Amino acid sequence: MPTWEEKLADRIDPQLADEINVFETEIQLRKQGKLDEKVFAETRLRRGAYGQRYDNGHRNDGIRSQELKYTTDLTKGPDTLWDAPGMQRIKIPFGGLNPDQMDTLADLSEEYADSVLHITTRQDFQFHFVHIDDTPTLMRRLGAVGITTREACGNSIRNVTACPLAGVCRTEVFDVVPYAKASAKFMLGHPDAQGFGRKFKIAFSGCEAEACGLVNMHDLGAIAVKRIENGKERRGFELYVGGGLGAVPHDAKLFDPFLPEEELLPITQAIARVFARLGEKKNRAQARVKFLVAKLGIEEFRRLVLEERKILPHDPRWTSYLAHRDHDTEKPLKAPSHLNGQKRPEGFDAWYATNVYRQKQDGYVVASITVPLGDLSSWQMRELAQIARRFSGDSVRTTVEQNMLFRWVSESDLVALYLELQRIGLNEPGAGTIVDITACPGTDTCKLGIASSRGLAAELSKRLAAKSFNLDQSVKNLRIKISGCFNSCGQHHISDLGFYGVSRNINNRKVPHFQVVLGGQWQNNAGAYGLALISIPSKRIPDVVERITERFVRERQHTESFQSFIKRIGKRELARMLEDLTQVPSFEADPSFYSDWGDPRVYTIGDMGVGECAGEVISVSQFEMVAAERLVFEGQLSLDDGDYVRADANAYDAMLQAALSLVKEEFMDVPNEPDRVVSEFRTRFYDTNLLGDRYAGSKFAQYLFKRHDSPPTEHTQDQAHRIVEEAQLFIEAAHAGHDILAERRNKLP
Amino acid sequence: MELQRIGIKLFADSPAPVPVRDFIPVFHSWIQKQAIEHHLLIDVHNYSHIHNGPGILLVAQEGNFSIDMAEGRMGLLYYRKKSGTDVASVLKTALAACKLLESDPAFGGRLRFRTDEMWIITNDRLLAPNNDPTFEELKPSIAAALKLVLPEGKFKYMRSSINPKDRLAIHVQTA
Repeated sequence: MPTWEEKLADRIDPQLADEINVFETEIQLRKQGKLDEKVFAETRLRRGAYGQRYDNGHRNDGIRSQELKYTTDLTKGPDTLWDAPGMQRIKIPFGGLNPDQMDTLADLSEEYADSVLHITTRQDFQFHFVHIDDTPTLMRRLGAVGITTREACGNSIRNVTACPLAGVCRTEVFDVVPYAKASAKFMLGHPDAQGFGRKFKIAFSGCEAEACGLVNMHDLGAIAVKRIENGKERRGFELYVGGGLGAVPHDAKLFDPFLPEEELLPITQAIARVFARLGEKKNRAQARVKFLVAKLGIEEFRRLVLEERKILPHDPRWTSYLAHRDHDTEKPLKAPSHLNGQKRPEGFDAWYATNVYRQKQDGYVVASITVPLGDLSSWQMRELAQIARRFSGDSVRTTVEQNMLFRWVSESDLVALYLELQRIGLNEPGAGTIVDITACPGTDTCKLGIASSRGLAAELSKRLAAKSFNLDQSVKNLRIKISGCFNSCGQHHISDLGFYGVSRNINNRKVPHFQVVLGGQWQNNAGAYGLALISIPSKRIPDVVERITERFVRERQHTESFQSFIKRIGKRELARMLEDLTQVPSFEADPSFYSDWGDPRVYTIGDMGVGECAGEVISVSQFEMVAAERLVFEGQLSLDDGDYVRADANAYDAMLQAALSLVKEEFMDVPNEPDRVVSEFRTRFYDTNLLGDRYAGSKFAQYLFKRHDSPPTEHTQDQAHRIVEEAQLFIEAAHAGHDILAERRNKLP
Repeated sequence: MELQRIGIKLFADSPAPVPVRDFIPVFHSWIQKQAIEHHLLIDVHNYSHIHNGPGILLVAQEGNFSIDMAEGRMGLLYYRKKSGTDVASVLKTALAACKLLESDPAFGGRLRFRTDEMWIITNDRLLAPNNDPTFEELKPSIAAALKLVLPEGKFKYMRSSINPKDRLAIHVQTA
């Protein structure tokens, strides 16, 4: 019986296949204790394999903190047990999906997770309760349909997001998808994006006024603009840097009002280099690019980036995609058409009113699929793939509001599409309205969760849906977003009514609360951030929503926006009107306040762990050393297999890789050519006796020189065995060399 | 064929419908007591908002239990994740979980599970593709397991779906 690796060999991009093989080897090395847990943690995070709540082996069961006794003490990161279920994040650039990819995602969720696919607030998918041992196979099967998990987590460039209507939007300046696609591809695994101290998020928007890509809250955001120059129309981007949510949100700063399209990728690369070089590495709380921009000021940051741009070696990929950017567009499955008085089933009109968007292309519409809490079952996903094949083709999108879109639906197909969605329970109306609540995983699965964001979202959604027909239109159009903690994964800062989880100590007991955040703006690319007003017990948040929305309807002046209303009423008055809701009855009087939504356990924050969102700060050199370790390990395997030629090559490559890691400490841009690496290593570390071993002198370096200058003329077991051993010793010496360099750095004033 | 990932669903047969969310506190209490032998029970997850979905999920290291709502039919679905098992032991675990639920005071005797009908799902598309040869290959071991665990029953076996994209699922019913 062939393995998945063998079965899919000709369907995976060879580079991706190699990367997955490397990851699988790193899993083996970690199991053998040959890879440090911190290094492995960052390695797996950069492959999208995250930790999950309770993976430290402890869980409060409502009575006591119970030790979860897994079969092995092995860890996959600091305080993270190997056998504990984890989360796998899957990158979907600009949310673009085709039916074959949907089928594969459905299959994998069944075989390796819990048969549920969760759409995230960055257009990704997440699987929960995945075992780390299953991840390489899962990645291969994704790779076979063109999906990667690389850099889905960790200190890397995360999923590149874009307006899900791009290409069909009536108000866009131009379609940003080719640019989002090119950025994602160009920066994926780019050497200049490997040395960050924190994650880096990129978004594209087709216009300024709509919410679209939420550019204002991104590390790098691009809004499509056009300009006439010398009588000719030119495409470009209004480019922003240094935005971000998190505990303290930052507005993005305008980097360039018109960055020509051909400069998009080189400037992105230059920004990455400046961030990697100057961004904070030790204090994670200050390590996002927003802090660097704030520290330097946008003018100085811009100057440094433009200087960097000048010295970048030319890369043809910067502009090669532009030649076919206008041809790389979606093709509709069917001819355009109109509804024209078709008989409409019950429920259709309500769904049509909120879930259908008329495309700029006449006769075509976008149908939104409201996905409760962003969760789909594997069966629903597979059925959706079939429905997409019939109505939408390869034009499916995920959205940052945790929904899905079918684009290019010929309008007369809408009734049939609606009936199909009804058959699989996905015909709920209300997409993009107050009932369509966004929530991060919160205490359900996140280590950092303080309160149950999903539990609250489910409760609010249920209550609001029950009375949605009686809601005033002004209230229907509001948005609610909920985060389980202050880190803002639920994007609470940019909603009309935002909430984030906090804990309060009352009557000597912990009580789950939510901070009420008001005044945020979803439109205008996340145009304004709301501010926390008051913390309210979790169980009383539905009363908060009811009270504020009712007053809005009652006292709204003409067409006053919700943000204007909040501003006019004022914080003092808003706090006063909610003050009585802060009261918590005694445990004896009402114990329900001391549990969270959907969770009968007595509430505690004892289950919180250390988040992995920030990743582990591992230098580029450390990754080079990991590669060296892997290569020498592969050399051992080749030796065992009797493949001496390969064993010799592996051992030589391992030494080169270790030498490269040292050279890079001093010369970041050293070309990865054996002659040059050996020459630089000789000059910088051998001639200076910098790495001279106390006992062995510089003999370890000689192993490399000897193999480099005189490759073996015949390959025998003895020769292969010896060079594998030498390579191992050389790697140990390189590790020691890194320690010496680190000590020297620490002694610098 | 040495399958590691096997699922068995036993259907609920209750005189009155039991709200799926009623299982949440029961599963939490199982974790407190680590109530399933040879299993490390870890967490409870509420998926009741998914139409015909996994309902309420109890995650364990060795396998997941859920009050599954697939095709609108409530039942206990046990998916074995770990190696070193066979159909008989998976069935025994599923039956033990059903008995525990039936006897839980939270349901006041309202909850019953049928043993005259079940789904047996091979959760591995590589080892057990959904086709007739795999079905024929697996049938004897499934029959043997049922004879061992439910000796009084006489069963017939059918493939639940012939769609090659689906997993091989076998609909077992009293003959």
